[in-house]
Amino acid sequence: MSENLLYVLGTISNWIGWVLGVWVLIRLVLLVMPGSPSNRAAALGGIAAAAFVAAIALTIGTKLPALDAASHPPGVRLPLVWLVMPFAAWIAAVAIAMTLLRAAQALTQLTGEVRRAKSISALIWAAVAILFAVFYRGGSEKIEVLKGGINLSWGTAAAILFLIVAGGAGTRYAANRAGSRGWSKAILTHVMLIAGSVIFGLPFAFLLITSFKEDRDMSSPNGIVWVPKVQQTVLYMDPKDPLMQSEFKGRTVEGAIVKENGDGTVELEITRPASMRGLSAELPKSSLKEIPKPIPLVTGQLNGRPIQGKVVEELLDGQRRVVVTRPAELAGQVHLYKPAEVEPVREVGLRWQNYTEALEYLPPETANGLVYLKNTLIIVLLSVIGTVLSSSVVAYAFARMKFPGQNVLFALLLGTMMLPGAVTLLPKFLLFRSLGWIDTLYPLWVPAFFASAFNVFLLRQFFKNIPAELEDAARIDGCNPARTFWSVMLPLVKPALAVIAIWGFMNAWNNFMDPLIYISSPEKMPLSYALQLFQGDRQGEPGLLMAFATMSMVPVLLLFFFAQRYFVEGVTLSGLGGR
Amino acid sequence: MRIRIHGPHKCATVLATMRPLGKLLSLAFALAAALSGAAEPRPIVIWGRAPGPDEKGFETVIQRFEKLHPEYVVRALTMGAGGMNPQKLMTAIVGKVAPDIVYQDRFTISDWASRNAFRPLDDLLARDAALPNCPKAAQYYNAPWQEAMWDNKVYGIPSGVDDRVLYYNKTLFAKHADDLRAAGLDPNRPPHTWSEVLKYSKVLTEKNPDGTLKVAGFLPNYGNSWLYLYSFQLNGSFMSPDGHTCTLTAKENQDALKFMKDGYDLIGGYGAAKNFESGFQGNENDPFIVGKVAMKIDGDWIINNLARYGPTLQFAVAPPPEPDDRIAKKGAFANEKDADVTWIGGFAWVIPTGASNLDGAWEFIKFAASPEGRRAEHEGFREAERRRGRLYVPRLSAQIQTNDLILKEFTPADPRIQAALHQHVALLPFSKIRPATFAGQVLWDEHVRATENACNGSMGIVAALQAGQDVVQRDLDAYYRTSSLPVVDLAIPLFAGLGLIALVVLGSWIALKRLHLKSLAKNNAKWAYLFISPWLLGFIVLTAGPMLASLFFSFTQYNVLSEARWVGAKNYVDMFTTDKAMTAKTLLNVIYLGGIGVPLSILSGLAIAMLLNNAVRGMRYYRTLFYMPAIVPTVASAVLWTWVLAADPNKGMLNAGWRETIGQWMNLPPPGWLTMPEYTKQALILMGTWGAGSGMLLWLAGLKGVPTQLYEAASIDGATPRQQLWAITLPQLSPVIFFNVVVGFIAAIQEFDRPYVLLNGQNSPSDSLLMPVYHLFNSGFRYFKMGYASALAWIIFLVIVGLTLIQFVLAPRWVHYEADA
Repeated sequence: MSENLLYVLGTISNWIGWVLGVWVLIRLVLLVMPGSPSNRAAALGGIAAAAFVAAIALTIGTKLPALDAASHPPGVRLPLVWLVMPFAAWIAAVAIAMTLLRAAQALTQLTGEVRRAKSISALIWAAVAILFAVFYRGGSEKIEVLKGGINLSWGTAAAILFLIVAGGAGTRYAANRAGSRGWSKAILTHVMLIAGSVIFGLPFAFLLITSFKEDRDMSSPNGIVWVPKVQQTVLYMDPKDPLMQSEFKGRTVEGAIVKENGDGTVELEITRPASMRGLSAELPKSSLKEIPKPIPLVTGQLNGRPIQGKVVEELLDGQRRVVVTRPAELAGQVHLYKPAEVEPVREVGLRWQNYTEALEYLPPETANGLVYLKNTLIIVLLSVIGTVLSSSVVAYAFARMKFPGQNVLFALLLGTMMLPGAVTLLPKFLLFRSLGWIDTLYPLWVPAFFASAFNVFLLRQFFKNIPAELEDAARIDGCNPARTFWSVMLPLVKPALAVIAIWGFMNAWNNFMDPLIYISSPEKMPLSYALQLFQGDRQGEPGLLMAFATMSMVPVLLLFFFAQRYFVEGVTLSGLGGR
Repeated sequence: MRIRIHGPHKCATVLATMRPLGKLLSLAFALAAALSGAAEPRPIVIWGRAPGPDEKGFETVIQRFEKLHPEYVVRALTMGAGGMNPQKLMTAIVGKVAPDIVYQDRFTISDWASRNAFRPLDDLLARDAALPNCPKAAQYYNAPWQEAMWDNKVYGIPSGVDDRVLYYNKTLFAKHADDLRAAGLDPNRPPHTWSEVLKYSKVLTEKNPDGTLKVAGFLPNYGNSWLYLYSFQLNGSFMSPDGHTCTLTAKENQDALKFMKDGYDLIGGYGAAKNFESGFQGNENDPFIVGKVAMKIDGDWIINNLARYGPTLQFAVAPPPEPDDRIAKKGAFANEKDADVTWIGGFAWVIPTGASNLDGAWEFIKFAASPEGRRAEHEGFREAERRRGRLYVPRLSAQIQTNDLILKEFTPADPRIQAALHQHVALLPFSKIRPATFAGQVLWDEHVRATENACNGSMGIVAALQAGQDVVQRDLDAYYRTSSLPVVDLAIPLFAGLGLIALVVLGSWIALKRLHLKSLAKNNAKWAYLFISPWLLGFIVLTAGPMLASLFFSFTQYNVLSEARWVGAKNYVDMFTTDKAMTAKTLLNVIYLGGIGVPLSILSGLAIAMLLNNAVRGMRYYRTLFYMPAIVPTVASAVLWTWVLAADPNKGMLNAGWRETIGQWMNLPPPGWLTMPEYTKQALILMGTWGAGSGMLLWLAGLKGVPTQLYEAASIDGATPRQQLWAITLPQLSPVIFFNVVVGFIAAIQEFDRPYVLLNGQNSPSDSLLMPVYHLFNSGFRYFKMGYASALAWIIFLVIVGLTLIQFVLAPRWVHYEADA
């Protein structure tokens, strides 16, 4: 344990040394730049003190035998340490650190009042530390110390150091001068925003790029492949094993003839569409039409010369029959190659086929996924209509009408706002079951017609803000309440309705649990559920999966780009954000 | 047979709505269509088995059947329900939209049958007994036929079987021939007894210089043997004959488990063996093919791979090693006639309750089970394999005659494979099955757990078995107690509920009358009630009614298919007694996700919002980008994250990064984010932080709402940016923070979509992602324990209400609301 402790302390010391050292360098650079503070001597004194501490810390941090043990390549080694310990121990450790910090602050503060406050804070942290230390001791888990370090070559280390010092000094210098303060802050903000965007955007980039990658790029020992490449192919009419096209069960299919029946029909083993791959179809020979098939281009060696050729046949033992295409004088020669002897010709490009194949893989009865889209659109459309209509009607009544029991009912409505959907999950299932609604779309949109509490609450605020004169004028003109609501009031709350409609859209589009419970046949599935099932079916094919996921995102993203204003407004409206 | 009029009927409706005059016409049309509609084939929907490149045999069966019966069309679902998610199947059966046929693992049939989810086939068997193609018990081996029975009724027609035999690598035996002879063993024959197999294993096992395994002689539970096999060999059983008692701790089972543990200890312990196994690969790198495992007990399904990937492998098969006394016919086995005992599993065709095309389903099952169907299956598959240049290795059938056919006509010429198939068939009559009990799945899970705990030494043999036995026994007791519980007539609560509603309506009406409203007010009130009626109706039908119903159900035991039984507060008591480990787990998971995940996403959301609150150019684009993760559909983003979090650093984005950074610095291998229980929650938190944009907009709105005068005044007073943050920004934002904390905790309790999609509907490792609502979903829709699930729902409801109230009570202490807000 003691060696571990030394390692931990040495690591902390090492890092303190580096941070302080960088600080010292930045201050020094600032000192030599024009316009530095007046009392150079005092500043120099502080810097010298810091440099001294940094030097000591670095010496301890690098020379401790516990740290030095590991042999490492020449350069700088930044030691790292991580403690594997239970949560209670972590809290205790943090509390100890806070105690020390507060105690140090209490000792260095000038005014008595602040000192007292810091001391009390230190005591509280100490109490927390003791509490959790005792709690941790109660458990049986031991602390495990993971040791490691970052090795940097001298060059890299110097470059990083230079960048940090230059950047730090530069921004500090600019910030200290009135003329450049604005843009230095802007640059800093942009740098941080761009860094954040990269982190947040990476998964999206991964999604998009993966959806365009070939299978062989999905897995790479050299890190993720970020530039997709595609296999180059040429079209070829195969005289030996022709690719045939025909109609089967209402769909255009492609495949190879595997058997000639005597009666003028043949058996076609289907290769496309993917959902029917491997199936055999019995078709009249006259219905077949030969089509060219794309065959891969490869490079290899022929008598020591590099050649390019096309693979016209893959033999059962894995060998490839290659027809040479380049160079010209060898073109047309046919040779057999083992798979390892040829290299596919691949160029940077996007594999759009992932998208078409993903759709082809969907069950035939879903018309390449169009049925999913149709179901989703039905659900979304009806849900949005239902939500907007019912919520606005109810909200209007609560906002502008007077009726006995109003307060009680409104309190009830507010009460249902915190009701978790889970409570009514099972009885609702039984209810819809008794209505014969299982495996239909009804359970997914009918409830939207019964006004959700949150939307009513939101719209009510809006209706309340409309001046009463408008309503009075309408009444005097002889409008009944329904007409007043529809022709006068509703148009006035359009922005709020837009917000509610967008929420309704998102909820309906994203709804997953309800389809999971209620829908089982492919013809009735919405996209969200289909995507999850697709994931289960095509676990080994991220290209297709990511393509399908991308397609299911596109409509929502489009809506977002075109109606961004309402998204933002919606949040502002939800009550707590804005005022 | 019924006439299918669905399509024309729909047409008629359309026509009728188009033109009233056309009614007569359309009626005539519908009639004509209905008459001709008889020719339209009725679908037979099959779940659990889908045609494809590896199911060419099944496809051939379908094609021949459709030719023979043009009145039917077979629809084997390929995606979704076809993948046989038990929850989907149960929901479909309960929801009265069941498929017509299910291809079901036989040992689970009793479980489903006991819940009335499958239809007994006895009446059909009796009706068609005279027909030549009707399945008969005599055509089948006893064990698989018994396995498809429950409560003396036949629920399934068995299709395939897979018995276990010993496979051994002759090359390795020859390599160690001298060592084996030195140990007094014959290198030219396989071990017959338990003590022999251990001796052979000791000699054949090789180790690396660092002490890890290089070649394992015999891994007792590698391949497919399980405790079941060894227990069966000792004539042991996991259940009492009447099915009322779990006998996991019986002497035979203890001895069998001891043999397994000895087998592991001999080669360096269970942990070492598991480490060794974790490096195993498939296909041509299969450990048995490459000689990493000298002997294993496995089923006939591996022959196909051995033929394809190990063309030169010198392997042979033998009956699994038996207990010494059984071979010697001593002790308990003095009067035993069978020397060899093995065990089998396999699938069966079943018809779920409420299948809409019963006739078609039965017709198909009969065909698939008939000699003709069987032959079609093998012919079709062999033909397809031949075209692909592969050897066809037939799988064994539960039908005695079919196996004769297979051995005669479909066995490849390869002598190794012929010998293996003959050995498998020869042992079938001596095969035993897992007990047919409704608790089959639990028993299986618990026996696996007990085996693991005993072999790795974390529990004693008896203690491990006892722990499993207790769990199973509890389910058994609950089931057999059911019949003694009072049946509840569900009409009573229904009418009680309706009566209650009527009473409320009547009361309100009387109260209204009493008010003596003026006519104008009365008119207004009428309109108002009309306006709020959608909500009121929804409140009664979709909220209040279901809530009361759920409260009622929480005191019952109800699986929808059987009648409800009154159990009093048992569901609630169970939650905190027998199931307290599970309850505690879900609670801890919520605390973890809420306590770490929520603050983290608040922090990141707030940080981004503060950055975005600066007036710099292009803010719109940044905002869009940060917000995008929050608006993409949950399922889509979870699908994306399954690959971001993929464990393989060659594939997963996160682990590819890990390998380059932490992996090198700390010498730590990348973790399995979704497979290791200590990482799953971190994975979810990571994903949640990525979606922190949803809160960000709220923060942004809040930040924009902070009066700028406050900052101006503070700057004049010389406050640093950090002081401004603590003294102005955070207090001003406290209502938003408060709102996010409440919402975050409630969301953690209701977490469902993301874990479900990330784990593809499987249970999370060590239940590390089991959240309360997920638990509720499992109880309700996977196991259809409606009563228990309702009790859970109420507890969740109370917790959420309590949480919200506590936070509202505590809020004024630290939340800053502006006085004039």
